[in-house]
Amino acid sequence: MNWRKWNNVFHRDIGYLAVGLTLIYSISGIAVNHVNEWNPNYNIQKDTVVLHSQIDSLDANEILIAKTQSELQLDDSLKSSFRSGPLKIQLFFDKKTVTANYETKKAVIETVSNKPILRESNFLHLNAPKKLWTYVADAFAIALILLAITGMFMLKGKNGITGRGKWLIAAGFVIPIAFLILYF
Amino acid sequence: MKLVKSIILFVLLFTLINAEDEKKYGNELTLTEKTEVSAILSNPENFDGKKVLIEGTIVNVCESRGCWIDIASNEGYETIKVKVDDGVIVFPMEAKGKTAVVEGEVYAMTKQQEHSCAAGKEGEHKEGEKKEDEKSCCSETEKQAKVYQIKGLGAVIK
Repeated sequence: MNWRKWNNVFHRDIGYLAVGLTLIYSISGIAVNHVNEWNPNYNIQKDTVVLHSQIDSLDANEILIAKTQSELQLDDSLKSSFRSGPLKIQLFFDKKTVTANYETKKAVIETVSNKPILRESNFLHLNAPKKLWTYVADAFAIALILLAITGMFMLKGKNGITGRGKWLIAAGFVIPIAFLILYF
Repeated sequence: MKLVKSIILFVLLFTLINAEDEKKYGNELTLTEKTEVSAILSNPENFDGKKVLIEGTIVNVCESRGCWIDIASNEGYETIKVKVDDGVIVFPMEAKGKTAVVEGEVYAMTKQQEHSCAAGKEGEHKEGEKKEDEKSCCSETEKQAKVYQIKGLGAVIK
């Protein structure tokens, strides 16, 4: 088998191995690229409701919690709470937070849900797991380098690196260089 | 192909067995003695630049980047912010309401106060930096308030 055949076998199998991670990194890349315009991980819904219960600033936390739960008909299991002021309390449920303010007589019910696939992709892309995942990510980066190198030599002739290939490779370098000249 | 299938199965099983209830973030915790948040907030100057280990309920999380959390004080009505380097630690939204043990360094910041001046815009910057606002109706002392927060280095969320 000549070197080109090996090159193509290498490119094919590394390519298969890299499909999963390429999709994860590219989808997440688009998502986190626009982090200033949208939340790439969560759907956060905030509903404001009016409170009618009468609360005294000297009331115990338990009374505030009970009255808030009763008035807002919160049947979820309470995880914890925090009294942020004499007439303010936060109630924490699974994926839901209620911030009740008896000064303004308003409560904000915040419901959080994951953006499926994106949340998980971003978690891996931003290397949140650290530890062993760091080396998996390094291996993936090396695989991409190998794919780029072997990709250049897959074909010979007018569609190969000596033909149109060299111009497309040059274009791939010119784009980042142009942006560096403009903005760096 | 049998080997590849076996590896896939092994990795999946290994992952399920090792899934942790407690989540660790950033560096391992090195301190053993906890400092109460109320102690830091009542005398923050004494803790400026010092490494502390605190524990408390997470009452707020940075929505877009997970780059800070607010920890409730043991005495109520007050919280302390734990700021981490973007991307180094990412706190999840579901951490809200859970208990966190955080190790980090106390530091001072100047915070521009919104309510002390209608023309001012809220913002914060590190001690030593100065922000000019020519349109502001406030004096420098009115619009700048010193706040203390913690630069988070490691955390365990239960």
